[in-house]
Amino acid sequence: MNPFLDHSRQINRRNFFSQSANGIGQAALGSLLFPHLFPGSAEAAKSSVAPATSPSIGSTGLPGFPNFPSTAKRVIYLFQSGGPSHVDLFDYKPALDRLNGTNVPASVLGNQRVTGMTANQKSYPTMAPLWGMKQCGKHGTYISDLLPHIQSIANDITIVRSLHTEAINHDPAITFINTGSQQLGHASLGSWLSYGLGSENSNLPAYMVLLSQGTGKNPGQPLFSRLWGNGYLPSSHQGVQLRPGSSPVLYLANPKGISAKQRRRFLDDLEKLNQQHAAEVGDPEIQARIDSYEMAYRMQTSVPDLTDFSDEPQHVLDLYGPEVAKPGSYAANCLMARRMAEQGVRFIQLFHRGWDQHVRIRDQFPRQCHDVDQGSAALIKDLKMRGLLEDTLVIWGGEFGRTVFSQGKFGDPTSGRDHHGRCFSIWMAGGGVKGGFDYGRTDDHCYNIVENPVHIRDLNATLLHTLGIDHERLTYKFNGLDARLTGVEPARPILDILN
Amino acid sequence: MPFSSLTGAEQKIEFNRDIRPILSETCFRCHGPDPESREADLRLDLPEAAYAEVDDHIAISPGDPKKSLAWQRIITADAEELMPPPDSHLKLKPDEKKLIKLWIEQGAKYQDHWSFIAPERPTPPQSKSTWPINDIDRFVLKQLEDGKLSPSKEATRRKLIRRLSFDLTGLPPASKEVQAFAEDKDPKAYEKLVDHLLASRHFGERMAVPWLDQARYADTNGYSIDGGRHMSLWRDWVIHSYNTNKSFDQFTIEQLAGDLLPNATPQQIVASGFNRNHMITHEGGTIPLENLTNYAVDRVNTTSQVWLGLTMACSQCHDHKFDPLTMVDYYRMFAYFNTLGDKGNDGNAGINAIPSIDAVSALHSNQELTQLNKELTHLQDQLNKSTAGQKNWQQRMLKKLAARGKNLKLHPLKILKISVPNRGNQFEIKDGTLVDFETAGGSAHSISAQIPKSLKKPVTGLRIEFLPDEKSPHKRSGFGKKGFEGGFILTGFSVSATTIPSAQTDLYGLINIREATASFSNPKYPANDCLDEHNSNGWSPYPEDQQAQHLTFNFNQALDAGKAPFLTTLMNWGGGEFKMSDRLIARKYRMYAITGQDDGTNIPQEIQDILTSDKRSAEQNDKLLTYYTRHAPELANLRYRIGNLKDRIDYLGKPQSSLVMNTADKPRETFMLVRGQYDQRTKKVTPGTPATLPPLLKGAPDNRLGFAQWLVQDNHPLTARVAVNRLWQNLFGIGIVASSGDFGSQGAWPSHPKLLDWLAVDFIESGWNTKALIRKIVLSNTYRQDSASTAEQAKIDPQNRLLARGPRFRLQAEFIRDSALKISHLLSPRIGGPSVLPYQPPSLWKEVSHYGSSPATAQVFIQDHGEHLYRRSLYTYWKRTVPPPSMLTFDAPNRETCTVSRAITNTPLQALVLLNDPQFVEASRTFAQRILKEAPKNTAERIRFAFEECTARPPTASETAIIMNTLKRERANYSAKPASASAFLEIGESTHPENIDPVEHAAWTTVASLIMNLSETLTRE
Repeated sequence: MNPFLDHSRQINRRNFFSQSANGIGQAALGSLLFPHLFPGSAEAAKSSVAPATSPSIGSTGLPGFPNFPSTAKRVIYLFQSGGPSHVDLFDYKPALDRLNGTNVPASVLGNQRVTGMTANQKSYPTMAPLWGMKQCGKHGTYISDLLPHIQSIANDITIVRSLHTEAINHDPAITFINTGSQQLGHASLGSWLSYGLGSENSNLPAYMVLLSQGTGKNPGQPLFSRLWGNGYLPSSHQGVQLRPGSSPVLYLANPKGISAKQRRRFLDDLEKLNQQHAAEVGDPEIQARIDSYEMAYRMQTSVPDLTDFSDEPQHVLDLYGPEVAKPGSYAANCLMARRMAEQGVRFIQLFHRGWDQHVRIRDQFPRQCHDVDQGSAALIKDLKMRGLLEDTLVIWGGEFGRTVFSQGKFGDPTSGRDHHGRCFSIWMAGGGVKGGFDYGRTDDHCYNIVENPVHIRDLNATLLHTLGIDHERLTYKFNGLDARLTGVEPARPILDILN
Repeated sequence: MPFSSLTGAEQKIEFNRDIRPILSETCFRCHGPDPESREADLRLDLPEAAYAEVDDHIAISPGDPKKSLAWQRIITADAEELMPPPDSHLKLKPDEKKLIKLWIEQGAKYQDHWSFIAPERPTPPQSKSTWPINDIDRFVLKQLEDGKLSPSKEATRRKLIRRLSFDLTGLPPASKEVQAFAEDKDPKAYEKLVDHLLASRHFGERMAVPWLDQARYADTNGYSIDGGRHMSLWRDWVIHSYNTNKSFDQFTIEQLAGDLLPNATPQQIVASGFNRNHMITHEGGTIPLENLTNYAVDRVNTTSQVWLGLTMACSQCHDHKFDPLTMVDYYRMFAYFNTLGDKGNDGNAGINAIPSIDAVSALHSNQELTQLNKELTHLQDQLNKSTAGQKNWQQRMLKKLAARGKNLKLHPLKILKISVPNRGNQFEIKDGTLVDFETAGGSAHSISAQIPKSLKKPVTGLRIEFLPDEKSPHKRSGFGKKGFEGGFILTGFSVSATTIPSAQTDLYGLINIREATASFSNPKYPANDCLDEHNSNGWSPYPEDQQAQHLTFNFNQALDAGKAPFLTTLMNWGGGEFKMSDRLIARKYRMYAITGQDDGTNIPQEIQDILTSDKRSAEQNDKLLTYYTRHAPELANLRYRIGNLKDRIDYLGKPQSSLVMNTADKPRETFMLVRGQYDQRTKKVTPGTPATLPPLLKGAPDNRLGFAQWLVQDNHPLTARVAVNRLWQNLFGIGIVASSGDFGSQGAWPSHPKLLDWLAVDFIESGWNTKALIRKIVLSNTYRQDSASTAEQAKIDPQNRLLARGPRFRLQAEFIRDSALKISHLLSPRIGGPSVLPYQPPSLWKEVSHYGSSPATAQVFIQDHGEHLYRRSLYTYWKRTVPPPSMLTFDAPNRETCTVSRAITNTPLQALVLLNDPQFVEASRTFAQRILKEAPKNTAERIRFAFEECTARPPTASETAIIMNTLKRERANYSAKPASASAFLEIGESTHPENIDPVEHAAWTTVASLIMNLSETLTRE
């Protein structure tokens, strides 16, 4: 979004001033005449009297974006909140069977910090994966038997086993991976994409968010609206939450006693009144407001169309499993994500809570895996069937992994695993990412990376890259700095995992 | 093209205006103040470095672009040599290059950065024009004349009063006030209005809104579980300070160091809570020192943004890249804010993180308390005498009692699954129907159950039968704790029905429960108390639970088990008079779907007897009336009023807790931190102010108090400029410096530099008098201009930076809602007090919170009632992880960090709020009531009244015609569908007059909504 351009577009479109044949020239003229007052600084626009009239719905993004041909047009991020255990799911080490029960050696532990929850633990006994692993796909990669459906899509995904983060607790870690910083106030991944690329659909927001509750741990670790917030970007780029029920977007439904027809006539009257005032005071903002009411009206149809699964054939519903029938479940959200992808929503983010198995991992973990297994795999298969996987990037992962050592007494049924940011595993599919591929390697304890580390900044740079964005060029002037998603530390897209 | 070329004057380059922004943006990150990132050992921010000859080269040779290597590198065709380097993605525009060349030709004169030089009072420019009425106008006019623009005519009286009311109180004027002002012949009418509004109690509320943004005020701790805190005393102090016009220097000192003042008063200590508004964590596993470091960082960053207008945050990890601020400066400032006795992991369970103080609100007034008590007596009296609906109620109750147990059948539910995910206690399902907990644990249990397939009748409710355990020590039904042996307390209950089994309740499909009844209730824990989710109340059959007791939930609407045969319940245990406790769970229970009528009732036997008896004694009549007034739903609003009054009396009369600053017995030492990492300490530093700014006065205390006093020293170049710029921003939508949070090198050049300095000096010399400054500004002709824009103005100055017209912008989030409340006469007049919970869509908190698993407060949203639904928006409870959605939609920040200016966007989600949020629908309904009651009967007159209330002007003939048409159409619509009218009018809890025809009322409600949705209504013009 460029507020200056948008502003002038508004003027241009409805020809507020007959003299101004070319609205774009008008704002440009202003900035030529008073360069120091029009520093092109978005910050100036932020507090400007001529507001940033660009709802993320229907906006076109920044000029010059994408920067180069993209392999992905949109992203579905299946965020696993709480920190899934990479040790039990994806990072199989035969040596662990042998090391089971032995203390993790000091040489492996190193001197990095652990959380306050295990810092005072007397010993750090290795706990081998508690469930079986199977070699899957043409490349024989290991995936847990708790994820039988994900095993079946091994040939479509890249598993990255060398992701790492500095954060060791939920709040900073989940904020870091979703906003690029452990500090507060930064813009979320999706809001950056809404700002940079705009929307493909003029009736739906560019960035939509779906939440689901895990059965592994309930309630799971809390979530925060900052994870899909706009930070310093204009608030029109906030992620819009979609919920089950009669008003999937807040306040979408007309009040009881007002029919769609009544609403239509009401909006026609409102527009007439607003037009008359606009003609008098010459403020292009009024036109923008009229447009926003029209978009709201269109959303009242487009959103219910999106959330109504009655047009899905049984075989598709079956693919997602029985839970798809439950509105708001992870499986239902996966199907919703596919429907949004079809409608051109730029960034779709699911947050599934409950991956935080400090205690009772033996009970909690299988349930939590079961929550997400079929829906995640079905989404990939479904997208693939429709030819959508080609240009849709799907990411499955959380904010960190879990320790190979037992939190609590080794073998105790109440024991679990603590947070681990030194290495963790995620998988990606579609949007130009290789299928049937593994990247990165950790040591025998799944504790330290030995090959091809990928910082979470690199992951975000890679995501942007598939969308045709140079992560160094997607910037927003804030407090004198060119703020960007990947921050000031070095970051690079991982080209090796791309086709 | 530079500004000066437009004016036709000779193009004289001024470094600060023309060159610094270019160098800062494109050159300083490698050739600026930060040595770490400096390339080729060259800096261009200092003249002596730029002019120096190094290896036969001079970067900038004054007067000689050819000899200036920097210039040659800018214009070279060689990509290897080009500056800025192409891979930096930075580029100089042709105009910028021209300016640099001109600057070098004219001698490459540098200036110190303007905002670091203390302002002096400039002489206002003279003009022959009679337009200026004060010095502000003189400065503005000069630049207008230079820009070949002329000022606009004065706005109409109607526009002016609306503008002033919003700017000074955040509320629209009533149409009566508009009329009076429009017709006022007094030449001093405008001045008098200004003084009247500055004296309004709402002035402090209006001023507090941007201050709360800057102070990152919220009602929760923010990090992780985001539990509640108590901070409203501080907000009361802010409102009170603005209303009593506390001078800005004192306002500053008390908030930064009130606790360090000699003989500090409780209010001064409360004020120091400014720097405790930051986020706090009690997430298990976090490292206290890391958190404490984050807190001090937040204090430094916020304090420097708010008072210095500087982005100190950059220097946490490295010397500033654009401004002369070093890491040493940063950590010396950090040292001021790092000496308190706070803990790194604190603030759980709704108890304020230390240090805190118990104090009485700054808004405490005996006068108000007397008034409140009077009102309370009056209302209680009114309640006690409320007999109007009693007959009707009695008949309903008799009917209900007669129907008790009619066709009642219990259908045991098959228990499918018990989920207590976070605990390791033992439980099992016996006989497929019995839930059996062998050990206590977990305060939130989810039970998944199935309604028998054979059940075809509508399910009217759910019953749970709690069984005593013979084997338990007390042979009761719970695990109990001391003082409540063998008992349990059910504090919350919710249930949903689904088509497939579900381990958890569906947060978005919860079944509405009309009433809970029980076979026995402990008087402290009545059945209905488990329906609200406060942990402090609930239901318990103790001590009668040595026998089986049951609890029945009556559904609002019967359930079709054929469609959704699977029930999931969430039961929350513990609490009540005890702290949340795993021990207060039940041991064994069975669940039943019920069909037919519940045989339970909450009406006590005695009242039942009175109800059914033919003859009643006076005493019985009294008892019946008392019961009626305490329980009848038709009197709920009156009871809420009484309850809210009592709370208010309590709050104003008694000390409350608030977070404050202090100095620890053993203050923490401060070290430089490598890249800002809390665990990578280098050298120890002592407190001090940034070296580039004037030093502390001699003898200044070596602590926060010294720092605060330094900020308001007369020779401080920043504080006054930053403060007046923000006040200007409040009134004009944008500051004289557009980047109101950055007065540094990367900040915007002031649109009116001399005016800014004049205002700053005037502010200091007035004794930092905030109201006087605002008065001066709003009395100017600059402020009074009409805001309509001519084609010429839009062409030359679309952003209105030169102020050839009055500013117009959409109202802020808070004022949009407040306006609707005022127009509809719903607005509560109370000032200050604890935050309130007005309407919100269901489950927004639960879907992200730790509800049921944490003693932290603010995990579940429990809506308030009565006047708490209609308080001004700055009192709406601010939960940081889930801020009030309608506020966020209108660009309010999330209050996690300091925000000095809000964006103004325009989105479809805003339209949805204004059209469909019950708060706004209700406001249009009660506004319609006003229109029908207060305006003359004539339709056109009524439309005029409504239009004036919202926009302060009468509608034009064509506007009236459009609205008439709306009214006509909606009358027809609702006449054809009267049920729709009633449904529409039911929205909102405010009392509903019964003497208005619903069709007429609904049609006018639509008209009210139409006018309230006008762009003009939402805009301060």
